Amino acid sequence: MRRMRKLFGALAAALALAGCSSSLQPVDPAPAGAVQQPQPAGVGGGEPSDTASTSSCDPNAISLRPSGSLPAPGQFPAGSRLKKIHDRGYLRAGIDQNTYLFGFRNLTTNQMEGFDIDRVREIAKAIFGDPDKVQFKVITSKEREAALAGDEVDVVARTYSVTCARAKIVDFSAVYYTAGQRVLVDRRSKATSLDDLAGKKVCAASGSTSIKKLTGYPSKPVPVSVPTYADCLIMLQQGQVDAVSTDDTILAGMVKQDPNLKMVGKQITEEPYGIGIKKGDDNFVRFVNGVLQQSISSGAWQASYNKWLRGTGEEQPVPTLRYRD
Amino acid sequence: MVTTAAPETGGRRVRSIPATMVRNLTESAATSPGRLTLIMVGLFLLTVVTSVVGVTTVLSRQNTIDDLINHQEPLSAASQQIYRSLSDADATASSAFLAGGVEPADLRSRYEADIAQAGAALAKAAGDVGGVEGAAQQVNQLSQALPVYTGLVETARANNRQGFPTGGAYLREASTLMRSELLPAAQELFRIDIERLNEGEDDATAIPWFLTGFTALLLAALIASQIYLTKRTNRLLNVGLLVATIAVGVGVIWGALAMVVGSAHISSANRDGSQQVDVLVQARIVALQCRANETLTLVARGDGPQYETDYQKLIPGLVAKDGGPGTLLAKAKDLAADNAQTSSSVNAAIDSASKWHNAHLEIRKTDDEGDYQAAVKAATGTEPTSAAQLFAKLDSSLDDAIMSGRKAFVERADEAGKTLTGLGPGLAVLGLVALAGVTMGIRRRLQEYR
Repeated sequence: MRRMRKLFGALAAALALAGCSSSLQPVDPAPAGAVQQPQPAGVGGGEPSDTASTSSCDPNAISLRPSGSLPAPGQFPAGSRLKKIHDRGYLRAGIDQNTYLFGFRNLTTNQMEGFDIDRVREIAKAIFGDPDKVQFKVITSKEREAALAGDEVDVVARTYSVTCARAKIVDFSAVYYTAGQRVLVDRRSKATSLDDLAGKKVCAASGSTSIKKLTGYPSKPVPVSVPTYADCLIMLQQGQVDAVSTDDTILAGMVKQDPNLKMVGKQITEEPYGIGIKKGDDNFVRFVNGVLQQSISSGAWQASYNKWLRGTGEEQPVPTLRYRD
Repeated sequence: MVTTAAPETGGRRVRSIPATMVRNLTESAATSPGRLTLIMVGLFLLTVVTSVVGVTTVLSRQNTIDDLINHQEPLSAASQQIYRSLSDADATASSAFLAGGVEPADLRSRYEADIAQAGAALAKAAGDVGGVEGAAQQVNQLSQALPVYTGLVETARANNRQGFPTGGAYLREASTLMRSELLPAAQELFRIDIERLNEGEDDATAIPWFLTGFTALLLAALIASQIYLTKRTNRLLNVGLLVATIAVGVGVIWGALAMVVGSAHISSANRDGSQQVDVLVQARIVALQCRANETLTLVARGDGPQYETDYQKLIPGLVAKDGGPGTLLAKAKDLAADNAQTSSSVNAAIDSASKWHNAHLEIRKTDDEGDYQAAVKAATGTEPTSAAQLFAKLDSSLDDAIMSGRKAFVERADEAGKTLTGLGPGLAVLGLVALAGVTMGIRRRLQEYR
């Protein structure tokens, strides 16, 4: 009997030992695995700069001088692009609906608004006498050249930087605003410029000059490209990128939507904004420049600037339009 | 094998017990009473086993049918409900965004109802994944992504109310999550659940080979025993064995009839019910995808040619101008041929679908001609000719048709269950009768040797 009891004792001890080491762990009831954050559609990486030599032109004086005063609305020579647009009944404009201050939808009125949209409406007013005769077509930064070349839109007013490489594919109006690339970070961030963001994820729109600048930048940030700048803002808010780097004007619109962000660093580029026009109709380019000239001299440009951009960054003087003639 | 175990150690004197038994049996089988006893025991055991197999087969079939009605069918309905609710929530959120900063109350409550429904259906699906690995995986993915989706939509809403265009970007992110993760998972879950339902139907109509084998064996044994007894004794009939044979025969005929009729009911539940519902749900999924593409084209405002391309790609699968035979709705109509209620709902759906498609073409024309606001109004408005209303009509017709298909399924499957009523106890009683017959029939003969 005693021997038996000893044997059972030893057996129980052995079992307990075995139990402790393996099977007595509480079971994880619902392993969730790694959490994947939702992402905007079409997130990509860096994009190389255009290979075209940059010294071949002066982006600030690339366009054609208006010829005399503007024709009255509707009075256009037969066969001209202006006549065709007038006959169609509306102007087709490539814009963005997510760039606060420049091109966005006012959700109360459901109308498109912004600094770029004001330029489009001025052109429509000069053609039709009615600033509302516009079909707004939302396009991404990347689609701007193709939309013009494919004749989907007549003009593109979408924070469109004039570059010599682009000028080979599309025509540009005179420069009506000059922005510069800066950096947007969280208010608590210690970064003071792009130089402090080595190895950090920095967001910009696909096909923009900004993403190209980021891709080759010496401090080697990790470029993240998205279809629109609003996607950059939400990725910054969700902590999926560390910074957004693009034109200060666009960044200013983001700060207005989220005061927890701040713009840092100097302008690292100069971004001269022009209105993109399908290549091949000089008279139309001259007409658009005439509209811009009139807007500046009538004070409309200033009013538009005051409405959207005053106080968001460095004060901009009224531009002086320059031409190659 | 066991009979000759260890003869070298124990010698001839110490035989193993089984060996003794076998020897006794073979010895007694040589005598007539012994042989009769053996036949009685054999028949007795075979009858017991066959009765037990028969009763369990019937009970398990009844279980399978109950399971179809109370379990599998509601499950597949829940998973299609998940897809519908999620997809509708996404389309509604987009419509609300088109409407402006403060969304109309009816769109908001529709979105809320969709999310509530999706959550409830997901809970149902989660409680019932039944150890199916694929189903558990889809439910897991849905459960993880749904709260994230609603969070994004609410963030979009908060931004919209302040007039910030970021709201649009949040909404697009939410929609991307919906279309790339939630909806594919829901579609896969529905596919798995329909497959499980079909497997259940197959189980409920399968021929019970095991039972058939035993019954055939028992019948053969009974007949052989009677022939043997007729030859050995001069009596033409053995009443006990005859009663047993008749009892088994009655069981065979009753069981076969019940199962054949039951299987026919299940087959008709499959055709008029689950197959019909499957086709209708597929049609609904395509319709929802098309509606989402329609609203997203407008939300994207020109930056969404792929949405319209998707619409154009999908719509011919749903409905065609000539009521073309290949479309899902035409298929549903064919399947509904002998169900008046489903048929009328499907016809209403076909009518709404083609009207909606025409409205869609009109919207695209209006938008392409530059009148965006009018296009938005035609797509989301409350007048009965707007795409929103026509689509709502289509969706509710499909819902009616699906409900009527489900009803047909439950009714037919219930009929199938009813054919088995009493069969289980009946077989048990018949088994007892057969046992009594066997025992009495042979005991009579045995007594003659005393």
